Amino acid sequence: MTAFKKSFNIKKRDFVRAGEASINVQNILKSLNMDHKLIRRIAICGYESEMNVVMHGGDGILTVEINTGKIILDIEDNGDGIENIELAMQKGYSTATEEHREMGFGAGMGLPNMKANSDILSVESEKGKGTQVHMEFNVSAD
Amino acid sequence: MQVSTDSMHSSHYVIFNADICTGCTNCIKACPTKAIRLYNDNPTCLTDNCIRCGECLRVCPTGAISTTTYELEALQKDKVSITLVSPVLYSQFKGVMPNDILLAVKKIGFHHVMDLSYYIEMFLYAAEEYIIENRITGRSPWPLISPACPVVIRLIAYQFPKLLPHLIPIMRPVSLLAKETRANISREYKIKKDAVILYHLTPCPAKMVPSKSSFAPENSLVDRTMGIKDVYAQISGQLKHMKKNGIEALREESETQKISGNCLLWGISGGEIAGINSDKTLAVSGLRETIAYLEKIELGLFKDIEYIEFRTCPEGCVGGALNAVDKYIAKNTVLKMLRKFGLERLIPREKVILLYENGWGLSDTTQDELQRIFGVYKEHISIEQLKDIEKIMQQIQGKDCAACGAPDCRTFAEDVVMGKAVLNDCIMLRKREIDKISEYK
Ligand SMILES: Nc1ncnc2c1ncn2[C@@H]1O[C@H](COP(=O)(O)OP(=O)(O)OP(=O)(O)O)[C@@H](O)[C@H]1O
Ligand SMILES: [Mg+2]
Repeated sequence: MTAFKKSFNIKKRDFVRAGEASINVQNILKSLNMDHKLIRRIAICGYESEMNVVMHGGDGILTVEINTGKIILDIEDNGDGIENIELAMQKGYSTATEEHREMGFGAGMGLPNMKANSDILSVESEKGKGTQVHMEFNVSAD
Repeated sequence: MQVSTDSMHSSHYVIFNADICTGCTNCIKACPTKAIRLYNDNPTCLTDNCIRCGECLRVCPTGAISTTTYELEALQKDKVSITLVSPVLYSQFKGVMPNDILLAVKKIGFHHVMDLSYYIEMFLYAAEEYIIENRITGRSPWPLISPACPVVIRLIAYQFPKLLPHLIPIMRPVSLLAKETRANISREYKIKKDAVILYHLTPCPAKMVPSKSSFAPENSLVDRTMGIKDVYAQISGQLKHMKKNGIEALREESETQKISGNCLLWGISGGEIAGINSDKTLAVSGLRETIAYLEKIELGLFKDIEYIEFRTCPEGCVGGALNAVDKYIAKNTVLKMLRKFGLERLIPREKVILLYENGWGLSDTTQDELQRIFGVYKEHISIEQLKDIEKIMQQIQGKDCAACGAPDCRTFAEDVVMGKAVLNDCIMLRKREIDKISEYK
């Protein structure tokens, strides 16, 4: 059986529409009657990565892939990339601007949250070439 | 699936007049739960999906849609009829004092009329108390959501059941008033409780339902609801009559009620949180905005907000579909009256806190009940069906024209996959086929 796949655009610095891609994903998962705790985790991860694209990255795409046993989120952007991924993964590390902090972002908790809420997280990035975030979530059969 | 007779789904909320309906599809597109379809040019409501928000009433250009209404019964000898008046009524008569309006309502045929001021203040105190408690106990997740708008409760139960714990479990002011009034009047007149007939005069489209099929037990505390616009002319007539005969004399013989500014303000968006003693509040009005914010709360946002007032009618209850006067004019009337009344509360806090601590005002409708009544009917789909829906969308390449009778291509594709519509109903597809055939000629 092939998977269901759908992509959503994310626009650089568009704070007004930020979150729309994750809301779309959330609505699809709700229509499939997925476990609400799983939906919650996926929504958190989707939103954090979507915000990272909006705040730090460039224009991007969020793709959701739904299989019977596994859900995958891929978020890619064409921004400046992350210089030191290991550092970026640390709790509290942030390069957010004053302006971002005023909006309530920049705690440096996005990536750690994604790590905690996904079953697999991988971040690939090259300075100047953008960032690719890949997350997997196991769907337990019950 | 069993349909119980006392569920909200058992009766039709909206009635379409096929003779007036032009088939414009406005209502179909406006419906937030996509509950209306046009079958053979006849609008049909899929009652399982209807949350009774009244949006269809609002957008119908020809007035072909109406809700169930009640004929006002003549006063009966062995019964006491009382009407509980929504404060929005005061916004419908510019420059007329609330107590004069109440008197006019009484004169159209009630033994008593009741204003909501006290109960709105009680509600505000109780909500504040709940917020303070929740800061310590963390019993409910932030942001807490106001239970005042019945459409919001239905919307959450139907489309966002996981947000039910955000609703504060306090009864709405009108329910509180209904409960107390029935008890007091039956004691005072020494009659049985069911000899007290409680009417609710309201602009709220959600309340125009037979009490038996209403969404929650506490709603059935009111026997009948009347739309303001349905009795507006009668009240106006009484007011004119009163003026001619000298209002002053009449005022003396009538029971004047103390009107609170908090009560007047209740009808406009932000009027509830204006009275709430917390800075971390928001007021959101309008159906679309409400849905957008609920989606965001579901996503985990707004945790730093303590209390959100949602009203699905635009500008708040003054935008209610059953009002007689334009919402902006009504809003102006309220704001001008407020200059006279101020926002000081009439009841001292101590009086309410004692009641609150004894559980007074706490809602007896559990979240499970709410979800049982609404949640069951929501259909779920499989991954395969989701793929089929997406495939049909690709095939249609449509423009949400609604010519098929569904509100948009997505819903049409769903209907096809669920076997409720056939692909051939799509005129975009048909047009492309015709184009193809004529190319070969
Ligand atoms: N898509 C991206 N493009 C460029 N830099 C990124 C991207 N995602 C993350 N980063 C870098 O990694 C840092 C840490 O990200 P993280 O999401 O953990 O915290 P934050 O976004 O700064 O703050 P918070 O998510 O708590 O609001 C960011 O400050 C930024 O420097
Ligand atoms: Mg972040």
